[in-house]
Amino acid sequence: MFSWLEKNPFFFTVAFLVPFSIAGLVEIVPEFAQASRPTEGLKPYSMLETAGRQVYIKDSCNACHSQLVRPFKSETDRYGMYSLSGEYAYDRPFLWGSKRTGPDLHRVGDYRTTDWHENHMWDPESVVPGSIMPAYKHMFSNSVDIDTAYAEAYTQKVVFGMPYDTPNGVALGSYEEAKALIYDEAKAIVADMKNQDVKDALARGEIKEIVALIAYLNSLSNERRVAQ
Amino acid sequence: MEWLNLDDSVNALSLLGLVAIVVLTVAIVGKYIKQIKDEKAEGELAGYDWDGIDEFKNDLPVGWAAMYTILIVWGLWYWFVGYPLNAYSQIGEWNEEVKEYQAKYESKWANADKQTLIDMGQSIFLVQCAPCHGETAEGMGGKAANLITWGKEDHIEKVVAQGAQGMGFMSPMPPMMTDSDGAKKAAAYIMANFSPRGETKYPNLVSEGKAVYENVCAACHGIDGNGVEMVGPSLVDLTGEVLKYGKKDSIGYMPPFKDRFTDVQEKALGEYIYSLR
Repeated sequence: MFSWLEKNPFFFTVAFLVPFSIAGLVEIVPEFAQASRPTEGLKPYSMLETAGRQVYIKDSCNACHSQLVRPFKSETDRYGMYSLSGEYAYDRPFLWGSKRTGPDLHRVGDYRTTDWHENHMWDPESVVPGSIMPAYKHMFSNSVDIDTAYAEAYTQKVVFGMPYDTPNGVALGSYEEAKALIYDEAKAIVADMKNQDVKDALARGEIKEIVALIAYLNSLSNERRVAQ
Repeated sequence: MEWLNLDDSVNALSLLGLVAIVVLTVAIVGKYIKQIKDEKAEGELAGYDWDGIDEFKNDLPVGWAAMYTILIVWGLWYWFVGYPLNAYSQIGEWNEEVKEYQAKYESKWANADKQTLIDMGQSIFLVQCAPCHGETAEGMGGKAANLITWGKEDHIEKVVAQGAQGMGFMSPMPPMMTDSDGAKKAAAYIMANFSPRGETKYPNLVSEGKAVYENVCAACHGIDGNGVEMVGPSLVDLTGEVLKYGKKDSIGYMPPFKDRFTDVQEKALGEYIYSLR
């Protein structure tokens, strides 16, 4: 048996790795599985927030913004509490990012508001002088893709068992119900906005991308993470 | 020679170290070479014979035996007590770092004078508040509250006359004064007695303002201006109240900044905002 293994490098490697991985499996996997469980009270993304997350991914916000506050005092002073791995349990894919051309956004909902984001996305330099972030004016004219947002949320619920439709939790329901919900959420965001075109569009039944993105950014706060 | 400047203690010590290494190396290597050349095997033999090779009777040195035993004891302690209790964690390091820093911070700035607090307040303001209120604090052309006028006499007078809302108390503050004189008097009293500014443009109205305040404002803000829980904010520490509750009105929404600042930092922000003219 061993002389055969010694003559077959591939199977030798496999036979070597199996026993030598046992320590890793025993020590790393349980700890990792424990840490990746959702933090207590973590809420799934609502319909509008899911749509906003898709806008965030589509426009590659994660290329310049991280979503991971490291446990250093300099970071917690600026961004708020450090991130826990369980907070990403419902992020598929996670959006940690690897480069901070702009600031971290994992706690942005705690200290920025709808009207600030509205000004900032339209013209970043109007609120942050010297900012190199480009304007995202097209978000004020493009509409969100409600069907894809529902498809994603529904998949998360059915395939990954995300806790939608729990008592006092985030509702999803059927497509028609979800569609009604997303309009309610959009109304609440748009009420705090000033752009007349976005308001008119909502009255016509169109939700602009900016509304969904703001909902998503506002959700990056303790309100989503802490049981209310 | 620039590189051999022996006045520099680092160079001198390095050179000394170099000499010491050479001398020690020569001495030790020489000793062993001499030993290889001269030494003969001697000592009591154990009396075994393995193909012509015998063994000396060498007992385990006491020092080694002691070290061995101590290491076993230490190993047990380390596995079961030492390491589990002192295991490194990043969060633990963060906790300690923050605790140590806060203690140092609090003691260093406990008795900071007014100008120090104003400077500190400005630097906090530039990081945390300027994204909305602007670097000059004037609110970026109406995008946020103009803090140059906010909380000052004219603003207080306007709020008394027109009311205010949005701090999350049980009801918004209704417009109190139909005649502008009453508002002016109340504002003078508030500025002179409660506001950190401690001065009013109309000192002669203060005594009349006291009556207006006690009749109209005190019900919600308290006779001493310290506010009433759930009903009205403190007028003594208005900046602290806004940081605590946030504010949502026609300008927009300011989220609460509760627990983001230490007491000293909050005081510094207040001093800075009240120092703006």
